[in-house]
Amino acid sequence: MTSPTASVHRVATSIPEPTGGLQRFLHRQAWTTGVAVLMVLLVLWRTSQVPHFGDFEIRTITAGAMSLAFLAMAQALVVISGGIDLSVGAMLVFTNCLSALWMDGKGLGECIGIAVAVVAIAIAMSSLIGVIITVSGVPDIIVTLAASFTISGLALVVLKSPGGGASLDFQKLVAGGLNDYWPSLLWTVGTLALVWLPLRRTRLGLAIYAVGSNRGASFLAGVNVARTRVLAYSLGGLFAGLAGIITTAYTGGGEPRASIGANATLNSVAAVVLGGVALTGGVGGLAGPVMAAVCLSLIPAIMLGRGWDPSYAETWRGVIIIAVVLVGGLVQTRRRAT
Amino acid sequence: MTAVAAPRPSTRRDLRTLLAENPIIVLTAVLVVLYVATGLKDHSLFTSNGVRSILLLACPLAIFAASQTLCMLTGGIDLSIAMTANLVAYVAANQYSRGTAAILALGLALLVGIAVGIVNGIGIGVFKVNPLIMTLGMASVLLGLVTVWLKTILKGSTNLIPFVKTVGSGTLVGPLPTNIIVWAVVATVLVLGLRSSGIGRMVYAVGDNRIACRLAGVRVWQVLLVVYIVASLLAAVAGLLFSGTTGSVGPDQTNSYLLPSVAAAVIGGTSILGGSGGYSGTIVGALILTVLNRLLLALDTSEAFKQILYGLIVLALAWLYVRLTGHKGTADAR
Repeated sequence: MTSPTASVHRVATSIPEPTGGLQRFLHRQAWTTGVAVLMVLLVLWRTSQVPHFGDFEIRTITAGAMSLAFLAMAQALVVISGGIDLSVGAMLVFTNCLSALWMDGKGLGECIGIAVAVVAIAIAMSSLIGVIITVSGVPDIIVTLAASFTISGLALVVLKSPGGGASLDFQKLVAGGLNDYWPSLLWTVGTLALVWLPLRRTRLGLAIYAVGSNRGASFLAGVNVARTRVLAYSLGGLFAGLAGIITTAYTGGGEPRASIGANATLNSVAAVVLGGVALTGGVGGLAGPVMAAVCLSLIPAIMLGRGWDPSYAETWRGVIIIAVVLVGGLVQTRRRAT
Repeated sequence: MTAVAAPRPSTRRDLRTLLAENPIIVLTAVLVVLYVATGLKDHSLFTSNGVRSILLLACPLAIFAASQTLCMLTGGIDLSIAMTANLVAYVAANQYSRGTAAILALGLALLVGIAVGIVNGIGIGVFKVNPLIMTLGMASVLLGLVTVWLKTILKGSTNLIPFVKTVGSGTLVGPLPTNIIVWAVVATVLVLGLRSSGIGRMVYAVGDNRIACRLAGVRVWQVLLVVYIVASLLAAVAGLLFSGTTGSVGPDQTNSYLLPSVAAAVIGGTSILGGSGGYSGTIVGALILTVLNRLLLALDTSEAFKQILYGLIVLALAWLYVRLTGHKGTADAR
């Protein structure tokens, strides 16, 4: 029997309840959780379409999405640092061609050595792109756009027509056998857990977030902005190079077509945005984009399973990207208003 | 201007200021040098036919670059122009060969272009979706629709509208191709419109400082809506012209114009961050890229080497531009 004023009074002075760990996690990782739910729903949908959902189907999903997942990590790192890299797709094609050329007819040990060398080349090239961006002052979109032409050309120099190969053991090690989904799953999750999670807590990881969210402020706070931006591109090169190696292992050859690279770049940007990384920089992580990459690569299979024309997959991909960004934007504005 | 003059004004500094304030002089010089260099390799370039072929090929690129320039001036970008152009050209040819009157088929096709622009504009202006994402998504949507529609509602033969064919491949007089009329109209409207019309000034203002615009009472979403509609309409026109020039329509025939359209605008001095630049620079940029393509063709190198050089030269030109004008593309704190 309290009067209305008393109840208002009590509400106003109540001490906020300490939030539970799960609640806090959901609040902070709202977007990533959303993408995870979307991914699970899509996988379940796909499961319901196939009569015998076994190891082979799981491997098709994990290994099929793997190269886009790594490319999305590359793009996400650069975007978090406040830039954008339109040359990641071309870098994937280039490293794919180079590794396929060198690995052709080699054994497992040599293939691993070649993979390390090719990734080192990719890191060097991406670092050079980063240096050009910071030194020249030309916008990153333009530099990486021009670089994408040049790198596609280099891929054609390396491999004139589809060809090359890789050791079967190496292919199994990276992408797994036809019924073996563990390698692809472990490589992707392992990279997130063992490379990304430690990295984001290091000085460099924090600097990347700081530079991405406010370049001027982080400069004033003593962060070496130019070096951080270059290193973000170098790390992007690392992941893009790995994506190329994965493509070689998954397809067992090299394919120098430039349109593959352009398409892959667009998909990587889509995965990054869908994965909750803001294009303005400084927000998001790598887990979201990886799961978004799985979602994006599941769409065509699901459409095919439903008996729809798989060409509509492109349309749905576009609609989903726009819708997610639109709804996400509205939700964020709402949250800021309250 | 400032009353205080430097004690001993060096002519070198004067020249530098002049060039920094009028980068189009340098751009034109680059164009002339490139043209002469290409001409030395391929003598046909000095004939009236050679000039005509450059103008003919530069026209669709320049109009694509016009839509890109407009979007970039507001701080956006339109990555759906190539797919819009493909769809529009296909609709026009398909409707015409079904017996629709040429003018109706053309009108319908342009309406499709405007519709794409409206959706883009509403997404970007009203719902504030990032332009890169909105138009990227739109390009995906259109690609899917075109691929499916080719088998359903757009099934059947495709005959180009004769009018489109004439404009796209005819010769007006001497070295001037017919499509230059369209280009001239677009250029006049854009250059004058951006400089002295209300909406033109607002395009710059929105690109320069959106928050200030909103506080000053500008309806930013309307400006963006108009910009993206005009951009799609220009893309539609470019697509029609391109189909007239090549005599064909296809679901991906203008895709190779997408990245050069951005490059042409950037080389021409339009900032990708918005608020500065203009169409006159873009015209020179489009001509430079067309001559560059011709030079790479004349060098008779492999496709691979062509792409490598193309990328390096675009980068070099953009760098030169930033060096010269001193205004950086990004707000750097180094």
